[in-house]
Amino acid sequence: MADIQFSGVEKDILQELMNIGFGQAAADLAQVIDLSIELSVPDIQLFKACELRKHIGTEADSDQEFSLVEQYFLGKFKGIALLVFPATSGKKLVSLFGLQDQSNKPTQHLELLEKEVMMEVGNILIGACVGKITELLNDVVIYSPPRVMIQDVRNSALPRNLFDPSSMAISMKTVFHFEQQEISGQLLLIANQESITWLKSALNAFMEQYQ
Amino acid sequence: MIFSQISDMINMGLVVLDKDLKVHFWNRWMAQHSGIDSEKIVGQSLFDFFPNLNEPKFLRNCRSVFAFGNFAFFSQKLHRYLFPLRPTYCDKEPFDYMQQSCTMGPIRDEDKSVRFIFLSVSDVTEVVKYEEQLVEMNRKDALTGIFNRRFFTQKLQEEFIRGRRHNRPLSLIMIDVDHFKQVNDNHGHQVGDEALKALSARVLDRIRKTDILSRYGGEEFACLLPETNGSSALRLAEDLRRIVAEENWVCRGVSLQMTISIGIAEGHPEMADSEALLKKADDALYEAKAGRNRAILYD
Amino acid sequence: MITLLIVDDSPIARQILKKCLPKESAFSIIEAADGQEALEKYRQYRPEITFMDMTMPVMDGFQAIAEIKQIDPQAIIIAATADVQQKARQRIIELGALMQLAKPVSPKAVRNALAKAEQALREQL
Repeated sequence: MADIQFSGVEKDILQELMNIGFGQAAADLAQVIDLSIELSVPDIQLFKACELRKHIGTEADSDQEFSLVEQYFLGKFKGIALLVFPATSGKKLVSLFGLQDQSNKPTQHLELLEKEVMMEVGNILIGACVGKITELLNDVVIYSPPRVMIQDVRNSALPRNLFDPSSMAISMKTVFHFEQQEISGQLLLIANQESITWLKSALNAFMEQYQ
Repeated sequence: MIFSQISDMINMGLVVLDKDLKVHFWNRWMAQHSGIDSEKIVGQSLFDFFPNLNEPKFLRNCRSVFAFGNFAFFSQKLHRYLFPLRPTYCDKEPFDYMQQSCTMGPIRDEDKSVRFIFLSVSDVTEVVKYEEQLVEMNRKDALTGIFNRRFFTQKLQEEFIRGRRHNRPLSLIMIDVDHFKQVNDNHGHQVGDEALKALSARVLDRIRKTDILSRYGGEEFACLLPETNGSSALRLAEDLRRIVAEENWVCRGVSLQMTISIGIAEGHPEMADSEALLKKADDALYEAKAGRNRAILYD
Repeated sequence: MITLLIVDDSPIARQILKKCLPKESAFSIIEAADGQEALEKYRQYRPEITFMDMTMPVMDGFQAIAEIKQIDPQAIIIAATADVQQKARQRIIELGALMQLAKPVSPKAVRNALAKAEQALREQL
């Protein structure tokens, strides 16, 4: 496992690149969704993949109900992105994004609309952060369609082919905040061991530009 | 050469848009289903032809794909379709337009910047139709075509909660066919089945559209009556009892006399749950069965 | 020789910026890891040009720019930041920074920024 630990310098590069990536993501998001959004300085953690579920659990743990958007990204940078909202955000997001009812089944419509807006916002937020990081590191990723789960964080699928329990995983966490509607949530990007190995070489390649 | 053939042969719509959302590419599938030729639409704004797409969500997702190189997914569940195209098979379609599942994604230059975006359009009309059939099958009783017990139980819970919340009356009637075993024993199951179908059809004729009639068990039916108090439910039950008893039933050439017993219960705010209401109707039915051809309101 | 003050909590970010300085020119370089340290170094060395990160612990770049401007209203400060939202950009300029440099910085962008800063220096004379 020692070979995939980051050196002090690599950690610094990673942190700086994440700061830049999330900063750019916030700036472009303001253009894309026409709303001001704040992203906190990302918090980076390395842990054993077998503790992944526990890791996600603690991030989302609280007494209040929450909703979760889950999406996979696949490139050299590979893993799962999770967006955790308080469950009450659904209605606020619907009004913030000005979604209108396009379905003709009124009984289901609000629930469907809330799910839909969470998927759309999640898809864009995740795309922004993953996109900017991979762009800085010269990778291109593809995405699975997002899924929404309500109060069901621990049942997230977390497939073994992506996260071998004996390997390591890395998470990057940011707290986002839409000012206009007082909506806050967490975005977690969790990449698998292969990605960590790739990250190490990509970080060094990034620094080589400045040698 | 191979790729241009694939894009023309593939059973899916492919559209490429530039940064101004002008159409850069329009495959043959799109041309055939929309009736708009590639020559006509390429170079033109997509919105000139499809003004319905000129709305915030579509625009937001276009900007996102250009800015981040991510994908955007337009599911059939909410959108139903992006492009108003005719369904492929025209005979008695349940949908006016082809149901679509669409994906938007980036097309990159050599320097990896996104200059174009693509839209893929899949026809999921048949899948959705099949899905709706499955949902329907899951709710209906195969023999009589009225609702099944599972759906009824779910509705009972929903209506019970709704009635209590808004303080509206709700009644439940349980119907059992008297001595039905004899019909099966004397005339065979086919005649028995016919009798159940005919009986449920007659009950369905008499009740309102908003009432929920289900086959609860073998020869047992349950009917939920929203916005109905106990005495109105009793009047309806009496009516049903009389209609069934007076009818001269003919099933598969066999002439039958049938009677039904009915138990009725009205929901009360102090009832713990829908189970309690069901139990009361069942108790009333038990009492009615003691004499047969009777309707009894639980009091 | 021009004295540069480079303020960033990330040693890597400071290193990248130093590597992007034009090779043909010589600078005297002072570094600081947060706004508080930047103020001390500014008082001590009176650098001609300051590169300032915005998101830092102890004292952030916004406050540091404001306080340096108190010490020296003529101070030439280039804000280097990843947060390029319109709101942040506007605030940086309102505080009196000369310009904003988007991260990750490149040799070309740094060269242009320095040219602009040196122009401003000449105008002050």
